[in-house]
Amino acid sequence: MKALVFIAALLACCAGFARADYQVGDHLAKPAKPSAHGAYQEIDWDALMPKDWDPIKELKATDLGMMRDGDPRANALLLKMQELWEKAPVEASLDGKRIRIPGFMVPLDEAKGKVSEFLLVPYFGACIHVPPPPANQIIHVVPDKPVAGHHMMDAVWVNGTLRTIRSQTRAGMGMASAGYRLEAQSIEPYKQK
Amino acid sequence: MDPSPSPLLQAENVSFRWAPRLAPTVELDRFTIAAQERVFLYGPSGSGKSTLLGIFGGVLVPQQGHVRILGTDLGSLGASRRDAFRVDHIGFIFQQFNLIPYLSVVENVLLPCRFSRRRRERAMQAGGNLEAQALRLLAQLDLGRALHARSVTQLSVGQQQRVAAARALIGRPELIIADEPTSSLDAGRQEGFLELLLAECASSGAALLFVSHDRRLAAHFTRQVAMDEVSRAAPALGEAA
Amino acid sequence: MNLLRLALRSAWNRRVTLALIVCAIALSVTMLLGVERARIAAREGFSQAVSGTDLVVGARTSPIQLVLYAVFHLGEATNNMLWKSEQQIAGDPAVAWAIPISLGDSHRGFPTVGTTPAFFEHFKYSLGAPLAFSAGRPFSGLFDTVLGADVASHLGYRLGDAITLTHGSGGIGSVEHADKPFTVVGILARTGTPVDRSVFVSLEAIEAIHLGWQGGAPPPGGFSIPEQFVRKFDLTPKTITAMLVGLRNRAAVFHVQRAINEFAGEPLMAVLPGVALDQLWQVVGVVEKSLLAVSALVVVVGIAGMAAAVLASLNERRRELSILRSVGAGPRHIVALLGIEALLVTGSGAALGVALLVALSALTGPWLESNYGLPINALGWSVDESLLLAAVVAAGFAAGVLPAYRACRLALADGLTPRL
Repeated sequence: MKALVFIAALLACCAGFARADYQVGDHLAKPAKPSAHGAYQEIDWDALMPKDWDPIKELKATDLGMMRDGDPRANALLLKMQELWEKAPVEASLDGKRIRIPGFMVPLDEAKGKVSEFLLVPYFGACIHVPPPPANQIIHVVPDKPVAGHHMMDAVWVNGTLRTIRSQTRAGMGMASAGYRLEAQSIEPYKQK
Repeated sequence: MDPSPSPLLQAENVSFRWAPRLAPTVELDRFTIAAQERVFLYGPSGSGKSTLLGIFGGVLVPQQGHVRILGTDLGSLGASRRDAFRVDHIGFIFQQFNLIPYLSVVENVLLPCRFSRRRRERAMQAGGNLEAQALRLLAQLDLGRALHARSVTQLSVGQQQRVAAARALIGRPELIIADEPTSSLDAGRQEGFLELLLAECASSGAALLFVSHDRRLAAHFTRQVAMDEVSRAAPALGEAA
Repeated sequence: MNLLRLALRSAWNRRVTLALIVCAIALSVTMLLGVERARIAAREGFSQAVSGTDLVVGARTSPIQLVLYAVFHLGEATNNMLWKSEQQIAGDPAVAWAIPISLGDSHRGFPTVGTTPAFFEHFKYSLGAPLAFSAGRPFSGLFDTVLGADVASHLGYRLGDAITLTHGSGGIGSVEHADKPFTVVGILARTGTPVDRSVFVSLEAIEAIHLGWQGGAPPPGGFSIPEQFVRKFDLTPKTITAMLVGLRNRAAVFHVQRAINEFAGEPLMAVLPGVALDQLWQVVGVVEKSLLAVSALVVVVGIAGMAAAVLASLNERRRELSILRSVGAGPRHIVALLGIEALLVTGSGAALGVALLVALSALTGPWLESNYGLPINALGWSVDESLLLAAVVAAGFAAGVLPAYRACRLALADGLTPRL
């Protein structure tokens, strides 16, 4: 459900990111059933969201047909949804787990062709015109050793230990909850099957 | 002609044409060379003698017929085996430009030993190393040490021909094929070269097939054959080629 | 003597022609590898300059233009943003540090950057390296200035020297701020980024030298406020060119970016420098590919020349080849001889090309680095370069073996006595 909202918003995004056959808003294929790869448990992005967190719950529960056109309650609901979105919590049980997850890479620090820190996001395109993913759908990855040969928006598999971080300070412009951090032991290119 | 039980070279029913639509250049019923025999093959230019030598040397393969050297049918060997067989048992001397210009005199003489283990071993049997054998041969052929240091392009034609003879003889192959080796030499030197060559062939026990259009040299040979006796495709003597 | 020595002697015999071909191949290899090196150096030079900055914030223009101007001082000035906005953003709890940047003046061709002491504390480059001083300290007095490493070395400045700034980028007709000279109080250590080419002053100093200026021109009649009175005026800046932002939580970069893009105070734009550079490389990528294609073509031309020379020499070598045939050389020996020669020629051409490249890198490297920020490592070698070189040598070998087949056919057809 949340994925559909993402895609709907991203369809209005600017073009120019059609690299490696991905269009803006593309997610990577979910595995048929998550399997274990050595010590790493393969998970998909939905697992990063706590089961009981559903910002659209109220919207789904409301019968929109009962409202008049331009009803202020409808907009209020949307705003509330956005607020909940901002406070996306992390799934605490994943702290310390060794996981394997595919995503798109946004390098943060790069030098001599090697990336030493990056963000992993579930969909293609880091456009400025669309809402960013909620805090529990962004992973801040720090590889053990800087990795070479990767570019912006490359699709990769990341294997490593996940940590959940709670924020101490007020959010301001940032995210209300801090999110996920991954100490990556290995990074592989993602091949479409 | 004295056919020995196993002749050195035996050619039968050989027919060779350069291209399918051309007439045959060589048509041969039967031709043999015995071990250690000296044969003078007389043929004017255009009679196909170079082609015949190519066939005997295993460089050209006739469309019909067999050429056997030391009992081995050349046609039954694969191309690279034929090349190896050729250098193992035959030495060649051409009319001119026998030598590779960027190699020294001794290196030219030793070329066959580079490609044939058999000749290398036979050369070393006489004792000493390869270079000593080459120098000995050169000395027999009247090429003094002073000339060895010179680049081959500085030698006279006569000297070059003698180096070529040394190259053909090193390692004592069973058959020496000489294609007009004296035709570039002055009249006065031709006999001298021939005598040296014959002496060396005798001492190393090699047969000699000497091809030339100059009948005057035939006197040195026990067996004289004309091209048109050997190959039906050769124009008869007196006819234009 | 083995085949190798035979091939060497034969090649030496024709050394003049072959030497020319070796030179042709060498030059083409130098060009091919040089283009590749320059391309990689450009990418690295640019990416290491923005390492450590999460967002570049400025007026809403084009992301590439903002990053190029604010970080690399290349291109045209963009619109300015309000100082008020900078204060608000810098005060946000999500922001760890903020460095305001004010551009527009220069000194003898080097851009002048107005900033705060936060710059020297927080600016990082190339995988988290902080700025270091080779002499002196950050500016504190109003007319203090800190120089980048290349500015100091090119112009021969030392601590205590006095310099004046020029308005604009210093072309003909530029006005000098001669009435307000600056004193060098610090010189930065070399970074290999545009920092080396910059002159740093405080934001207040930028205001001070433009006191009384209207619309980019000084007050008429030669009037200027003497420097001892400048402090009587309010030197807080009204606008700045851009600001560099570092976040407490780097994963929040998208959220902060969106918040700034929707900023209520004025139309602002926040750019991830890596994303902007990536867009730049996509645009530039077409040019890079064409350059690489041209270089590859030049190599092909060099190798084709070699093949042509070998083919041409076959005629004179027919005698040599038939002699070799008569002493037992088979087609495979002839192919091997010509193949070895092709390998020798291409190999020495490639080696010579690499040597030329190293020499060229050593000679021009320092100039390229200080003028354009391109880090050229003369002795560095990458896997890609090895692959390119191997491809060149393999192509040369193939080009040499093809005439070999022709040579074999010729030799076979000739028999023992080629028609000359």
